Amino acid sequence: MAKVPFFDCNTSVGRAGYPHLTDNQDAAGLEREMEIAGIEEALVYHVAAREGHPPLGNALLEKEIAGHTSLYPVWVLLPHNTGEMPHPDDLIGELRQKNVKAVRLYPGRAHHGFTLADWCAGGMLDVLDAARMPLLLDIEIVSWEDVFALLNKYQRLPVVVSNCSYRHNRYLYPLWERFDNLYVETCRFLGAGTIEDVVRRFGAGRLLFGSNMPQYTGTAIVARITYADISREDKEAIASGNLKRLLEEF
Amino acid sequence: MADFFETVHEGRPITDIEIIDFHAHLGPYYNMHVPDADAPAMIRNMDRCGIDKAVVSATLSFDTDIVLGNDMTIQALAAFPGRMYGACAVSGNYPEISLDELARMMANPAVVMVKVHPWSTRCKMNDRRMKRIYDFAAERGLFILVHTWLDGDPYGSQDLFAAVAADYPPIKWLMGHSGGPYGSVRAVEIAQKLDNVFLDLTLSMCPAQQVEYFVREVGADRVLFGTDNPFIDPRPQIGRVALARISDEDKVKIFGGNVRRHVRFV
Repeated sequence: MAKVPFFDCNTSVGRAGYPHLTDNQDAAGLEREMEIAGIEEALVYHVAAREGHPPLGNALLEKEIAGHTSLYPVWVLLPHNTGEMPHPDDLIGELRQKNVKAVRLYPGRAHHGFTLADWCAGGMLDVLDAARMPLLLDIEIVSWEDVFALLNKYQRLPVVVSNCSYRHNRYLYPLWERFDNLYVETCRFLGAGTIEDVVRRFGAGRLLFGSNMPQYTGTAIVARITYADISREDKEAIASGNLKRLLEEF
Repeated sequence: MADFFETVHEGRPITDIEIIDFHAHLGPYYNMHVPDADAPAMIRNMDRCGIDKAVVSATLSFDTDIVLGNDMTIQALAAFPGRMYGACAVSGNYPEISLDELARMMANPAVVMVKVHPWSTRCKMNDRRMKRIYDFAAERGLFILVHTWLDGDPYGSQDLFAAVAADYPPIKWLMGHSGGPYGSVRAVEIAQKLDNVFLDLTLSMCPAQQVEYFVREVGADRVLFGTDNPFIDPRPQIGRVALARISDEDKVKIFGGNVRRHVRFV
């Protein structure tokens, strides 16, 4: 039987200030980790866009992954008002021009110093919603109340919650009962039997394969999918199909 | 031996070597929903990837009642002989009860280890109330599995773990989670210094190349396979070892060969 293809929605390049263990900071290092795990393609953001300055990191990303045809850029955005990011009228055009496939936000005073509230990020979120640009949010940074407010306002925006651990089902399930545009990235979604339970209750369309390489290994989450008690079609949807569909819809 | 990459990617259980999960639990937990928390579901997921045996301690015993938790463990061992083995949960908050539990549990030949959870019990590893528990384990040369974390754990930090492990050389100390996702470097430092320390691979936030790093710096003989099942599904942990860039011989040791050298499974 042919191998299930994997398309990772959560990888990075760039040197982390506080690494877990390895110093795989470049695109070649990321690709080595992908090869070990058996992952063919990946969306990638630059650590400097998260821990340094988003415009700087986004520019570094473009250079770092140039020529690496299995890696696709993800930008970290800010609201436009300070002049650090394009105006909402120009944002989608610039993202398309740079072939950006998804975006990430790090709101909050301890992170990038803005709020997802309408008065602050509304202009940016409005155009992302209209364009159906996948938005990744780290649940260690945003609250479930933030996620609910976002989903309640934006029905077209694919909201991808990353870093969602085995402790979050009691928040997730009621949101999944109400919103079709909520997705979970899998790198820490490891509770025993949870993937099967989610597929049974909500279908396989709610999960996007993600590893958080090269901070984490990709080998663990790959095995979680290949050994899942779900159909081959559902494995392929989670491993790559759902993400490809979202990218086509942008 | 079957090719590990093909086996994992085809989702076939690893059946040609013995796999022993030396760090597993049992039952539901207060702050999370675990769909497959009971013993039959755990066995089903073990079968799915090829885990032969699991050494379990019931989650109820960490934050609630060690006696109730140990009762759950005993029931699971009786229901799945040869598949499930026990770790006796103890707590420094209840030293007398813990000693009674050690006597009761260790009389069962399927109980093969002691489990200490300093964080959940809020009892420091070096608390004087732990002394008789450690003495019991030292007299018998038992394994003690301790939940450890590098950052933010004043009860079971890696430094406390190292100090206590040095005080009790006859005990085989399994450093649970090897200090967590940022604890790998300290874990290696401790294991290089203390021969009675073993490194546990159980984690949800699995650092890239951690298995390779442990094998290179400490040697495969003191790296033990564990899953945290059912907190964490056991299947990802299979992938970490099976796909690691180490020799097949080292994978066999980590998956079960090492534990076999130290523990008798009846």
